[in-house]
Amino acid sequence: MSRKQLDMTLLVLAVAVCFALPLVITSPTYLQILILLFFYAYLTTAWNLVGGFAGVLPLGHSVFVGIGAYTSTILSNQYGVSPWIGMLAGGVIAAFVGVLIGKPTFRMRGAYFALCTIAFAEGIRVMIENIDSIGPIKINGPRGLLIPLKGDSFWNYQFMHKEPYYYIILTMLLLVVALTWFISRSRMGYYLAAGGEEPEAAQALGINVARYKLISMAMSCFLTALAGTFYAQLMLYFYPKGLLGLDLSFEIAFIALIGGRGTIAGPVIGALALRPLNEFTRIYLGSQLPGLHLVIFGTILILVMLFQPKGLTPPLARLYDKFAARITGEGGAK
Amino acid sequence: MTAVIQAVINGIMMGAMYGLTALGLTLIFGVMKVVNFAHGSLLMVGMFAAYWLIKLTGIHPYLSLLVVPPLLFFFGYYMQNLLIKPVFRAEQQVREPLTVIIVTTGVWYVLDNLALMLFGAEYRTVKTSITGTSFSMGDFIVSIPKLSGFVVSVATAVGLWLFMVKTRTGKALQATSLDREAANLMGIDQYRIYNLAFGIGTAIAGIAGCVIMPFYYVYPSVGVVFDIRAFIIVVLGGLGSIHGAMLGGVIIGLIESVFSQFMPSTWTEAIIYAVFLVILFVKPSGFFGKKQDW
Repeated sequence: MSRKQLDMTLLVLAVAVCFALPLVITSPTYLQILILLFFYAYLTTAWNLVGGFAGVLPLGHSVFVGIGAYTSTILSNQYGVSPWIGMLAGGVIAAFVGVLIGKPTFRMRGAYFALCTIAFAEGIRVMIENIDSIGPIKINGPRGLLIPLKGDSFWNYQFMHKEPYYYIILTMLLLVVALTWFISRSRMGYYLAAGGEEPEAAQALGINVARYKLISMAMSCFLTALAGTFYAQLMLYFYPKGLLGLDLSFEIAFIALIGGRGTIAGPVIGALALRPLNEFTRIYLGSQLPGLHLVIFGTILILVMLFQPKGLTPPLARLYDKFAARITGEGGAK
Repeated sequence: MTAVIQAVINGIMMGAMYGLTALGLTLIFGVMKVVNFAHGSLLMVGMFAAYWLIKLTGIHPYLSLLVVPPLLFFFGYYMQNLLIKPVFRAEQQVREPLTVIIVTTGVWYVLDNLALMLFGAEYRTVKTSITGTSFSMGDFIVSIPKLSGFVVSVATAVGLWLFMVKTRTGKALQATSLDREAANLMGIDQYRIYNLAFGIGTAIAGIAGCVIMPFYYVYPSVGVVFDIRAFIIVVLGGLGSIHGAMLGGVIIGLIESVFSQFMPSTWTEAIIYAVFLVILFVKPSGFFGKKQDW
């Protein structure tokens, strides 16, 4: 068996296991945990397009999740448009807004860019919390929006069981990971990597760094907004502080950084490592010691940054290399 | 009109204190090129330290200025030495290691939630001999704790500025800020300077905690409120600039208190963000920022 065959076999096996899981795990609680795990992995992979490949640190991506959720929900609640169509509309708006913020801020250095994205996201959150309605469009301020139950219906993006949501988000995750894989091997991927590491040098070689950063930002924002619609349809309720707050933006960035920023597997590995930890410490420790789970979270963050500043992916990749070398019998790990 | 002038007075006093909360942040950025996301949490630690000191010993609130800032200086000094220095060492060739931002964010999560575990989520105020006192100047009322806070803030900013331009250590801090390799070659120990900058920045957060405590309340995530505001202030004033931070603070304080005369106070927050974004797009380096920093 060659290395390539081994990689493919394991990948197909992993995907098959993911698709078969709901046959074994029938408890809605555990399915919900898995759905949220994939949801975070998806969001982080989308974030990684700009935060990882373009080499900047956006800390306000929750605003795009919010744009997706608000757009599709307003369209379906008040105008009867299917959330599937609203989802695309939200994506387009998010991409537009992303370019609007990206254009002036991408010139800035890392710290400024991070602070600007925070300020922008917080500004939008505060505004939405203050607006009850814009003309005929109901926003509901801090109370958020509720999606009325319409029963099982694909067209209305509503399901009585968790399984359909599970398969939707799993498919979305697989597609977005495949997309990152293609981009990282394309001309654009190399340009982005070059622009992120050495913007001046890349520019000198004739690469229009700003343009490729903007394209990656637009793609990332579009994909992030799609997940916003998913979240709205899964929960059927959301409010600005929960959806647009800094907590979500930061968690996305943390998952990417702990998993391995700028790698394809990083966001998935990060979500696999952090989400269960987050859920279980919150469930089992949250009631006795509020805050303990976040102390653990913060400590892990510090430790990973101190001992594996590139995230968990590189050491895991080395382990896998060793394992693969043993299986295939090809020379030692290099 | 009287109400507006009253609002201007309050705005300037509060604004100077906002400037004080941003001063440590801007100093640390100026020297290390790193945004300290734990700054608000360190302010929270300072506020809790002042709270317990005043509450348990019953001393005059401003006597806490003799205890809390030195305590926080050592806290910041050793935190940088223990947690941030190794990251810098690992990424020596990077000008602005983003990893450091993440480490400080981890510190923020740990500190805020440790405070939550230890002290609970309730809002705490401490009654001191000066809480709620004021004097009148003609038609206007000036709150004594806020005026004292204003005076301490301005004095701290002037003191920091004098320290930076007059003392050898201050000049070493400036040299490291301009070019860390060249400073290293001149025999300045880069990492000792970082420890110092972090210690001083944290001590200033301690000073801010002491002067805010007599008229404000403390709770575990109080830092977030001041943190976001401090981020806006330092970007407005120019990251790394001392007078920029004070001016940015006063502007934010003025917007907040004057606009709240005409609209609900939740909207003034939105206006602060809007002003911030406009200034950023027009002049991204802020009022006094150095071109190379953004």
